[in-house]
Amino acid sequence: MAVRDHLRTLRLAAWLGWQIESNWARPALFLLYSFIRPIATTLILVIMYLIIKQDVSSDPAFFSYVYLGATFYMFVSSVVFGITYVIHADREHYQTLRNIYISPVSLYVYIIGRATGKVALAALAVVISMAFGILVLGLPFDPMLVDWPLFAIAMLLGLACLVSLGLALAGISMLTAKHSTSINEGVGGLVYLLCGAVFPITVLPAWGQAIGLMIPVTYWLELIRRSLYPGEGIAMLGGLQDFGDLTILSFLLASTLVFAALSLAMFHLADRNARRKGKLDMITTY
Amino acid sequence: MSDWALNIRAGLARAYARTVGATREPSWVVFDVLLPLLGVAAYIFYYRALGADPVFEGFVVLGGAMTAFWLNVLWGMAAQLFWEREVGNLQLFMVAPMSRMALLAGMALGGLFTSAVRALSTLVLGVLIFQVHIMMADPLALVAVFTLTMLAVYGMGMALSSLFLMYGRDAWNISNLLQEPVYLMSGFYFPVRELGMVVSAVASLIPITLGLDAMRQLLFGELAGGLLPVTVEVVILALQAAIFIWLAAFSLDRMEQRGRREGRLTLRWQ
Amino acid sequence: MSSAIEVRSLSRVFSGRKEIVALDDVDLTVEEGELFGLLGPNGAGKTTLIKILCTLLLPSSGTARVLGYDVDSEAKQIRKRINMVSGGEISGYGLLTIRENLWMFTQFYGVQGKVAKQRIDALLEEFGLEDKADVKLRTVSTGQRQKMNIIRGFSTDPDLIFLDEPTLGLDVTTSISIRNYLRRWVREREGRTMMLTTHYMREAEELCDRVAIIDRGRIVAVDTPAGLKRRVGNDSSFLIETTPIDTARLSSLTGVRGLTARPSNGHLKVRMVLEDESVIADVISAVVAAGGKVVGLSKNEPTLEDAFMHLVGRGLE
Repeated sequence: MAVRDHLRTLRLAAWLGWQIESNWARPALFLLYSFIRPIATTLILVIMYLIIKQDVSSDPAFFSYVYLGATFYMFVSSVVFGITYVIHADREHYQTLRNIYISPVSLYVYIIGRATGKVALAALAVVISMAFGILVLGLPFDPMLVDWPLFAIAMLLGLACLVSLGLALAGISMLTAKHSTSINEGVGGLVYLLCGAVFPITVLPAWGQAIGLMIPVTYWLELIRRSLYPGEGIAMLGGLQDFGDLTILSFLLASTLVFAALSLAMFHLADRNARRKGKLDMITTY
Repeated sequence: MSDWALNIRAGLARAYARTVGATREPSWVVFDVLLPLLGVAAYIFYYRALGADPVFEGFVVLGGAMTAFWLNVLWGMAAQLFWEREVGNLQLFMVAPMSRMALLAGMALGGLFTSAVRALSTLVLGVLIFQVHIMMADPLALVAVFTLTMLAVYGMGMALSSLFLMYGRDAWNISNLLQEPVYLMSGFYFPVRELGMVVSAVASLIPITLGLDAMRQLLFGELAGGLLPVTVEVVILALQAAIFIWLAAFSLDRMEQRGRREGRLTLRWQ
Repeated sequence: MSSAIEVRSLSRVFSGRKEIVALDDVDLTVEEGELFGLLGPNGAGKTTLIKILCTLLLPSSGTARVLGYDVDSEAKQIRKRINMVSGGEISGYGLLTIRENLWMFTQFYGVQGKVAKQRIDALLEEFGLEDKADVKLRTVSTGQRQKMNIIRGFSTDPDLIFLDEPTLGLDVTTSISIRNYLRRWVREREGRTMMLTTHYMREAEELCDRVAIIDRGRIVAVDTPAGLKRRVGNDSSFLIETTPIDTARLSSLTGVRGLTARPSNGHLKVRMVLEDESVIADVISAVVAAGGKVVGLSKNEPTLEDAFMHLVGRGLE
């Protein structure tokens, strides 16, 4: 299929995703939702931090490590779960998955397009959370000291990696029943636990660290922290202090490519299995 | 047949459907037993990285276990009638003569069972893997507090479900909106008193706050840093349970009438 | 004999950006023991009327009594004695078996376990679904699902059942077996009443004791199928087979009361009700003028479809 067709599918699906995300909600509720949720999520960690460490200023690098990780992790939940959600929503709620499936568009591209609404919202949530951190909590940040090119490249690769992970999960969702939010929550927990989202992976047992080093999200979060934190201190915390920015960037690139290939294979396999087992239009409410 | 017998039958049937349905696809073991433990582990390692006292790890395991019930109340209760309407079941429920409260109670009972499996597995695995030390001085009191908490929390879920029925797809966002802020406000992972008296008092309007606080005190003693004495929290929880269940019955009746007037009971794809 | 349904000056308006009058001053009485049909095109108000009678929707004005109870204030008493089945509905839980779904719904009506089991077994056998009883609902075909829905409706042994397009989308054999059951259900149980909406003229003609024709929210006529056919009166019913043409010109001819056209073997079968036999000459001229060729022509006894065209001015489909 021509690239132009894929782009059209992407655009249409993105439009549809955005309509679903925003069109029906009361604007006030939608705004509240966009503000409160990200701040509450990070505040849980901030409160835990303050209970133990008493204040932010005693260890600004560690606080930044936690806060930046928690904030940018929002992309993981939104992108990965935004993509997964499309399968359950279209299969059981709108019951349009079968129609999309038999149409000539690529399901793969359609799902990515549908998730862009959630990505846009995640970006908004990250901006809000960063502003809250800098203005209210005293998060160290200086736009003049940010390594913007590194940040931009890391974001680009990171998003590609998250989309891959989301598509692999979307494949699994085609085969599984709709268990409330548990698939999102569980896989989210796995990434959160092993990728040093809010604590250095050095705290994990050796096997946990080994797995964490195989997941691109670990490198992505490390690069985001290094690019945004003014100074060197933060690079010493994550257990990757022996590697320079470029080396980590190459790890991120390589692991993202592997993840993308795996995700494509997994999606393809799940797609075939779903068709073989007749699961494309199952309704699994209970 | 008396209304009582009818309602008991209806409630049990709905509970059966919920329980059997939840466990029929084998994937539930992964999603409901193994995966939730990962989130709990992350918070435990976070506390370890911060150098916290090991008792905080116990708070996380307890909070993680109770998450199962809160998620079930939000997604399996509050948003459920809206979902039933979307899949076409609601009109059949509404045509049937059983009390709507019996239907919701059945959903709560079934949800309670499946959530209890998840909560227990989180608790047991959490305690075993992370060597959390628990001092259970009064198991009877713990059972009483847990029961009252469940009555109050599920009562709240029942009250919310009637509201969500009317607010259609906004229900989804309200459920989403309530999820994390309640983890924060109700002190799922730390003693709620740490939020200050004013915030704790406001958070106590959500019954899971006091339920968690009382259970923390019963499981970890002095170290739990309780908000109020357990007996006071028990009295408040009992009152909340009564109020929420009454509110649920009242609002369900009102919302059904409104739904019939506005034609929303059978309106799909809102 | 007392009335199972009594509707007086009933209206239902849906407000929104544009106000929609779904029912407009409807009066209707259905006697106990009747198999009553509601016949009308899409959007005529059939489903709205059924929803009001089933207590799912309140009227905007007027009154409706079902089995002697008011739909507004005595809904609970009505619900104990009625049930409802909609064609094409997707009710039930996909992860439960057919038997479990059916059992669950009987419990919502307080049917004792043993009685429920006996009834479900008997109905599963009646509808040839016994071999699928223990299969998950999400794995069965649309027809089997619809059979389950019909069984669900009858498994609570209601005094009054509402069937909204019960055979929608089903194959001919299944439809016939369902119709046979519906007929027997009313005839063999004294005092049981059925209200049926359908698109299928033959279904209404075969099954119903009386039929109400509803169009744009108003009841146009209520009579037995024979009585409705007699209303065609002096009008004549013709079937013309032509090569394909645009039938719009035919419907606008003076003297044409209504027509329906269906493609058949590369031709077009046009069924029409004419004010007078002589109008057929104009019709044939119009066919020729439209570039068509008349392949066949026959005059028929009026059917319910003709009665519908005569009363509403157009066909059902």
